Amino acid sequence: MGMNKKYWTGIEELDNTPEFQEAITSEFKKDQSVDEFLSDSKLSDTNTGRRDFLKFMGFSLTAATLAACETPVTKAIPYVVKPEEVTPGVANYYASTYYDGNDYGNLLVKTREGRPIFIKGNKTHGLGGGALNSRINASVVTLYDSFRLQGPKSGGNDISWAELDNNVSAKLASANSIRIVSNTIISPSTQRAVAEFAVKYGVDKVKHVQYDSYSYSGITTANENSFGKAVIPQYDFSKAKVIVSLDADFLGTWVTPNIFTHQYGITRKPEGAWMSKHFQVESRMSLTGSNADNRYPVKPSELGKAAAALYEAVVNGGGNMEGVDVAAMAKALNANRGSSLVVSGSNDSNVQMIVNAINSHLGNYGSTIDMDNHLNLFKGSDANMKELVADMGNGKVDVLIVYGCNPAYDWSDGEAFAAGLAKVGTSVSLNMYADETGSRCQYMAPDRHYLESWNDLSPVVGRVDIVQPTINPLYPNTRQAQESILRWTGNATAWYDFVRSTHGASYAPGAANANPTWNMAVHNGTMDAMPPIAAAGILLASAMEATMDSAMAAPAPVAAAPAVTSGPSIDVSSALSAVKSITGGQWEMVTYQKVTIGTGSHTTNPFLQETPDPITKVTWDNYVAMSPADCKEMGLATHLGQTHPASLVTVTAGNRTVTLPVFPAPGQKRGTVSIALGYGRGANEEKIGNAAYQTGEKGVQLTDENGKLVPVGKNAAGFVTEASGNRVYALYDIQIAKAEGSYHLATTQMQNTVMGRESVVKETVIADYLKEKGKKKGEATWNLMPALVVHQDVNGDGKMNAQDKVHVREMDLWKAHPVEGIGHRWGLTIDLNSCIGCGACVTACHTENNVPVVGKDEVVRHRDMHWLRIDRYFSSDFATLEETKEKKGLGTIAAYGDMENASDNPQAVHMPMMCQHCNHAPCETVCPVAATTHSNEGLNNMAYNRCIGTRYCANNCPYKVRRFNWFNYVTNDRFSMINPAQDDTMRMVLNPDVTVRTRGVMEKCSMCQQRIQAGKVDAKIKGQKIQDGDFTTACAEACPTHAIVFGDLNDNTTENYKRSQNVRSYHALEEVGIQPNIFYMTKVRNIESTEA
Amino acid sequence: MFKESRLRTPLILGNKTYHDITHDICSPIEGPAPRPWKIATAIAAVIALYGIACIMYLVSTGTGVWGLNKTVGWAWDITNFVWWVGIGHAGTLISAVLLLFRQRWRMAINRSAEAMTIFAVMMAAVFPVFHMGRVWNGYWTLPLPNTLGTLWPNFNSALMWDVFAISTYFSVSLVFWYLGLIPDFATIRDRMVKKGWKRFYSILSFGWSGRAKNWTRFEEVSLVLAGIATPLVFSVHSIVSMDFATSVIPGWHTTIFPPYFVSGAIFSGFAMVLTLLLIMRKTMRLEAYIHVKHVEYMNIVIIVTGSIVGVAYLTELFISWYSGVEYESYAFINRFSGPLSWSYWAMMTCNVISPQLFWFKKLRTNLAFTFVMSIIVNIGMWFERFVIIVTSIHRDYVPSSWGEFYPSSIDIGMFIGTIGIFFTLFLLFARYFPVLALNELKTILKVSGEAQKNEASH
Repeated sequence: MGMNKKYWTGIEELDNTPEFQEAITSEFKKDQSVDEFLSDSKLSDTNTGRRDFLKFMGFSLTAATLAACETPVTKAIPYVVKPEEVTPGVANYYASTYYDGNDYGNLLVKTREGRPIFIKGNKTHGLGGGALNSRINASVVTLYDSFRLQGPKSGGNDISWAELDNNVSAKLASANSIRIVSNTIISPSTQRAVAEFAVKYGVDKVKHVQYDSYSYSGITTANENSFGKAVIPQYDFSKAKVIVSLDADFLGTWVTPNIFTHQYGITRKPEGAWMSKHFQVESRMSLTGSNADNRYPVKPSELGKAAAALYEAVVNGGGNMEGVDVAAMAKALNANRGSSLVVSGSNDSNVQMIVNAINSHLGNYGSTIDMDNHLNLFKGSDANMKELVADMGNGKVDVLIVYGCNPAYDWSDGEAFAAGLAKVGTSVSLNMYADETGSRCQYMAPDRHYLESWNDLSPVVGRVDIVQPTINPLYPNTRQAQESILRWTGNATAWYDFVRSTHGASYAPGAANANPTWNMAVHNGTMDAMPPIAAAGILLASAMEATMDSAMAAPAPVAAAPAVTSGPSIDVSSALSAVKSITGGQWEMVTYQKVTIGTGSHTTNPFLQETPDPITKVTWDNYVAMSPADCKEMGLATHLGQTHPASLVTVTAGNRTVTLPVFPAPGQKRGTVSIALGYGRGANEEKIGNAAYQTGEKGVQLTDENGKLVPVGKNAAGFVTEASGNRVYALYDIQIAKAEGSYHLATTQMQNTVMGRESVVKETVIADYLKEKGKKKGEATWNLMPALVVHQDVNGDGKMNAQDKVHVREMDLWKAHPVEGIGHRWGLTIDLNSCIGCGACVTACHTENNVPVVGKDEVVRHRDMHWLRIDRYFSSDFATLEETKEKKGLGTIAAYGDMENASDNPQAVHMPMMCQHCNHAPCETVCPVAATTHSNEGLNNMAYNRCIGTRYCANNCPYKVRRFNWFNYVTNDRFSMINPAQDDTMRMVLNPDVTVRTRGVMEKCSMCQQRIQAGKVDAKIKGQKIQDGDFTTACAEACPTHAIVFGDLNDNTTENYKRSQNVRSYHALEEVGIQPNIFYMTKVRNIESTEA
Repeated sequence: MFKESRLRTPLILGNKTYHDITHDICSPIEGPAPRPWKIATAIAAVIALYGIACIMYLVSTGTGVWGLNKTVGWAWDITNFVWWVGIGHAGTLISAVLLLFRQRWRMAINRSAEAMTIFAVMMAAVFPVFHMGRVWNGYWTLPLPNTLGTLWPNFNSALMWDVFAISTYFSVSLVFWYLGLIPDFATIRDRMVKKGWKRFYSILSFGWSGRAKNWTRFEEVSLVLAGIATPLVFSVHSIVSMDFATSVIPGWHTTIFPPYFVSGAIFSGFAMVLTLLLIMRKTMRLEAYIHVKHVEYMNIVIIVTGSIVGVAYLTELFISWYSGVEYESYAFINRFSGPLSWSYWAMMTCNVISPQLFWFKKLRTNLAFTFVMSIIVNIGMWFERFVIIVTSIHRDYVPSSWGEFYPSSIDIGMFIGTIGIFFTLFLLFARYFPVLALNELKTILKVSGEAQKNEASH
C-alpha cells in the first residue's frame, strides 16, 4: 500500500493563496516594513475595553510589585575624579617592608582599586630574594581588623589628639624619669626621633629600653664577649656545605627565617654542584629538624654538652656524646672548613660562645658568617628590661611610653610588668590595639598599620628599606607612633618629611616629589638596592639543563677542603665548664615559637590560626608536645581524632603552672615536652580580635565559669626563665602530672606515616641519586615509571610473558584530551627535596583564592577548606611492608598496624598537595551535571554555578583535594566569629578576581586560573607570546625555596617543562593512570655521602 | 484399595470459599480502624515528622549538619539510599519474575511486596535528592532543554544513569502495582456502602466492570509489564553498583559489583517482605493465605542469594590479594582489621553466616526464627553498604587524608525518619488498600483445597 497521505507546510499551502505562490518563488522571506505595519488601517480598530484596561493595570501592578521584591540594588559609586594610577580591575603593586620586632621581610603589596589584598616577596630588591613566610604574607588581613583602636583614648574614653598631646606633654615636662619601651628599633628616623625626644626632656631622664618579644640576647652577649660587638651577624646558609644546627629553628622562626629559608633552598638542589648536609640536634621536632639529613634528639639540658662535645671533636678530634654522632658532624665540618656553619638556637650565652669558637676554628667568619655587615635586628637587652620592670615596681618611673610591644603579655614576668604599670605615674601606649599592655595604660595613642605608614628600616648594616603606605588610613583618627613622638617633642615636621630628611640631601624633601633618588628608593622599596639575586642562587632552567646533560662524572658532592685559616681562637673554658655542669631532671621542657603564630602578635589573625603547624598539623591551639612513648607510659591518649580528644596534663615549673592538652609528637625527645609561645592572648577579655578566643560548635564564643571569654591556647611566656641575664627557653626540671578531663585538638592530618606507599612519596639517598642521575626519566631504580604486564607480545620477542609491559600512560580507555603539544598546558613541578613544609604557600593560596576560614570545630570534624595543603609524613621503623614483616616477624595485618606508627626519631617529608589537574580526571567523568570539566589548557576547571553538590567528584579523587562547602561560610552564624568574610571591614581583603563560593558547591585549586587569564590578556594586549615567568600561581610565587614552579608544559623552553623531564620527576599515584599536570621531584637525602 | 499420589499442600488453607476471600480482604477496609493500627500509625507518623524536620534543617542549613567530612563525602546518605533501593527489589521480582515463571504462590504476597517496593524506592529517592549540596538545582541531572543551548547532563556519570534507572523502575513498578489493584478496587467499590468512600474507590477502579474483555486485557498488560519490569529488576541495582564500580577508589572499583549488588538486593528485599508479611498475617489474620509454605519458599530464596553474596565477599577478598595491587589489598585488609572492622564483621555475621541456618528445614519453617532472621539480614545488608562506601573512602590512596566518620544526630534522624515515613505509608496501604490480590487469589482456590480432594473422592 503506497503512501497516500499528503502533508502541507502550513495552511497557506493547503489554501494555495496567491501570497504563498509568490513566497515560494522568492528565495528570501520578505519582511513587512514598519511603515507598512503602521499604515495598516485596521490597526487603529483595536480598542481596549474597560475590563481589558483593568486587566492590564492589574497585571502591571503585580509585575511592578514583584519586581520590587528583588534584592535591593546597592550602587557602587565610581570615582568622580579617577586617580591616574588606578584602573578598575587592574592590580597595582607597591614595594614596602614588614617589620614587627620579630619578623622582617621586603615585600610587594598588590592593591586592587586602592585596597591592598595580597602580599608577595620583593624578589628583585629584597633581602634573601624577597622570601616571605606565612606570618608576613598573611599580615595583610590585620590591616582590615575592626578591633584595631580607631582613635586616641584616655582611661577607656575617647579624647581628641589635641587633648592627649597636651596632657602627655604636660606630664612629660614635669617628669623626672621617662622610659620608652619597645622592640628593637631598626628605623634610623625613629631612632632620630627618639633621640630628639630624649634631648628635649633631658638625656639623663629619658631612657629607651629595647627588648625583643623572643630574645636573642644570648647571641649578642656571646658576640660581645667573643668579638666585642653585641650584635647578631649575617649568616649565609647558601654557602654552607655542612650545616649543624643546635636547636636553631632557622627555617621556621630563628632570627630571619625567611631569608635563611631562601638560602637553604639554594643548597638543597641535588642537580647543583653540591648539596648541603644538614645535622640537627634538638629536643622537639622543629620545622628545621624535620628537614635535616641527620637529626639527633637530646634533652635541653644536654644541648650545651652536645655543643661542648662538638667543640672538642672539631678542635681536638676527641669528644663524644651518647645519642649524637659528634664525630660525623666534626668530620663533615672539618672537611668543609670555611664553607660550613654551626648555629644554635640556645639563648644561653655560654652555648653561643662555644658555637662562636667552633665557627671561628672552622674559619667560617668572613665566609658563611658576616660579622662586619651584621644585622641590626634583635639588639634588645633582657637585662635593661629587667631593670625597667624593677624600676616600675618600685614606682621610680614617672612616664612610660610603650611602643609596638606587649610586655604585659610576652615578657617572662608579664604579671610583674602589669603590676609595675599600675605604679607608673603616666603610661602611654602607642600600640595599634588595646592589648594586654595598651589596655592597662592611661593613654592610648593608636599607631597605624604598616600598610598605612611611612618608615625607613635598616635591617643590616649598610641597607635602608622603605615602608610606604598603600592605602589611606582605614581609621583616620589614628596617628603613626613616630608622629606622636615628634608632636610630644614639639617638632611640627610631618613624619614623611622627617623620614626623608634623615637620609641626607639626595633624599631630602626639598624638591617636592620630583626627587628621583627618593622616588627610586620608594619604587624599589629600598635605598640601597642589592645587586640582582645571583643566577646561581636559584636553580635556573639553564643551569639545570647543564647539570642534567653533564655525564655521570665522578660524584663530588663535597669539594676537597680548601685551605682555610681559622679565625681567632676564643677562650671557652669557662663556658665549657658551665654547660657541662647543667643537670637535668626527670622532665625537661622547651618553649618555642610556632611557625604560624610567632610570639603572639599573629594570634588574632584567623588565616594563621587555621594554617596548620608544619609538623603536628594542629590548628587553633597550643599544647604540650610529648613523645608518643611517654604518652603511652603516662596513660595519655596517643590517637587523636574527632571522637578521640587529647588528654590533659599539668606542667609545673617553680611557681608557674599550666594545664594543657597533650599532643603525641613523634620526634620529641623522651622525657621532654615543648609548649608554643604566643597563645592565650586576651586573658582579660582585651579587645584584640575574635580569633583570639575560642568559639563553640554553634559559633558562640565560649566562656569560662566566671563568664569570661576563653582564649585560644594558654600563655607559656611565664615558663621562659633566665640564665646569665638572658631569657632562655629551656627548663631543666619540671613536673608533669596527668590532669582530669580531656580537650579536642584540631589537626588537619591524622595519619603520621605514608604506609610504605612509594608511588605517593619517592625518596632516595644522594649516593644512589648520583649513580643514576644521568639516566633518562623513569629509568632510575628509585624512580621507575609504573608499567603493567599486558596479554600481548609488545616487546616482539615472539613470546607473551611477564616482560611484555606497557607504561600506564599508554593504556587508555578512551581518547585523551588533546593537551600535549597543542596550545598551552599549564602545570606545576614540586621539588620534594627543597620543599621544607613551611606553609607560606598555604597562606598565600588562602589570601589569593578567598579560601574560607572554618574554625576549630570544623577542623576537628576534618573539614578544613585549604585548597593547598602540605602533607607531612614521618618515617615508620621500616620503609616497606615486606621489610616490616621480615624484620619484626609480623604478619601482614600486624605489619600494617605497625607501619601506622612513626619511629622514635623519624625522618620527615613534606609534600604540598593540591588539585593535580589530571588529564584523565576521575572527578570529571563522575559529575552528573558536568560541573567540573577539562580545559583545553590542561586545567581541571570547576564551574561553581553548575555544581549541585553530589560530592561524587571528591569521593573519586585519589588525592582527596576537593573541598566541599558544608555551610554558607559567609552568612552562617556559626562562622560569624571566625570567618573574616563575615566581618564588614575584614572582608575587604577578599580578592575581587575570585568568586566567594556559596554553600553546597565543591571547590578546589584552580591553579590560580584568574592569574592565568590575566596573564594571557596581558600578553595579548602587548601582542607578545607568553614568556616563562610572566605570571605564576600564588603558591609558586610564595615559595621561598623555589620548590614549586609554574609554567607551560607544552613549551619546552620553560623551566617547568625542563623540571618535568628531570630524572627525579614523577607523578604521584601514576599507576592509577590519571595523568596529572603536577609533577613531583624525588626527595634526595644527603646521608651516607659526605662520609664517603 | 488404590494409592493416590499425595496432593501438594494447598496454597490457601482452611476451606476458604470465594466469599471468604473477598470478606477476609475487604473487611479490614470496610470496618472501623482498629486501635493497634491507630497507635502504630501515630508512632510511625511522629517518627516520619521528625525525619521531615531533619530534612528541613538539612536543606535550610547545609550538608554540614551531617557527619561527613573532606575524606568521607558519602556515608549514611548513600548507604541508606542503596539499602532502600535494595529492599525495593523484592516486590517487582516477586510480581514480575515469578509471574513469568508461573509461580502461583506469589499471589498471596505480591501485592504487599509491590507496595513495599514503591514505598522503599520513594524512601531511597530521599537520600540522593537531599544529599545534594544544592537540592534546589537537582533537576539539572535531567536532560531538560535549556536556554544555555548545549548544556546537558554528563552522560558518562553513573550518577546520571542512576537517575534514569530509578525513575524508570519506580514508574514501571507503580503502574504494575496499580494495574493489579484495579479489579480489587472494583470489588471494594461494589461492596462499599459508605458514599464518599464508594466514590473514592470507584475513581480508583477506573470503571472496571469485570467483563471477560477486561480480564483478557488485564492479563495481557500484566504479562507485558512483567516483561518490561523483569530486566529492570536487574538493571536498577546493577546501575546503582556502577556508582562505585566505575570509580577509581580501591574497594569501589570492582567488576563483580553488578551481579553481587542484584543478589544482595533480592536478599534484603525478601527479608524485608518477610518482616512485613509476618507482622501483617498475624495482625490482619491472613494465616490462611500466607503460611509456612510461602515463608519457606522465601527463605530458600534468601539462602540462595545470601550464598551468592557470601561468595562475592570471598571473591573480593581473593581478588584483592591476587591482584597484588598495594592499594586494593590494603583496602580489604583495612576492611576487616581497620578502625571500622566491627562493621565488616557485623556484615559477615549477618549476611553470610546467619542465612546458612536456613539449610535446616526446622529453622526455615519456624516463623518466629524467620522473623528474627529477616531483621538480621536487613541489618547486615545495611552494614554491607556502609562497609563498601565508608571503609573504602575513609582510607584510600593518600594516607595524609585518611579520616574517620561519625554520624551526626541528623544523619541518624533522617534514616530513622525514612523508616517512619515508610511505615506510615505501609500502614495507610494496609488500611485502605486490599493487601492481597484478592481477585487473583480466587484463581488458585480451586486447585489448592484439600476439600477438592475430599469432594472428588466422595
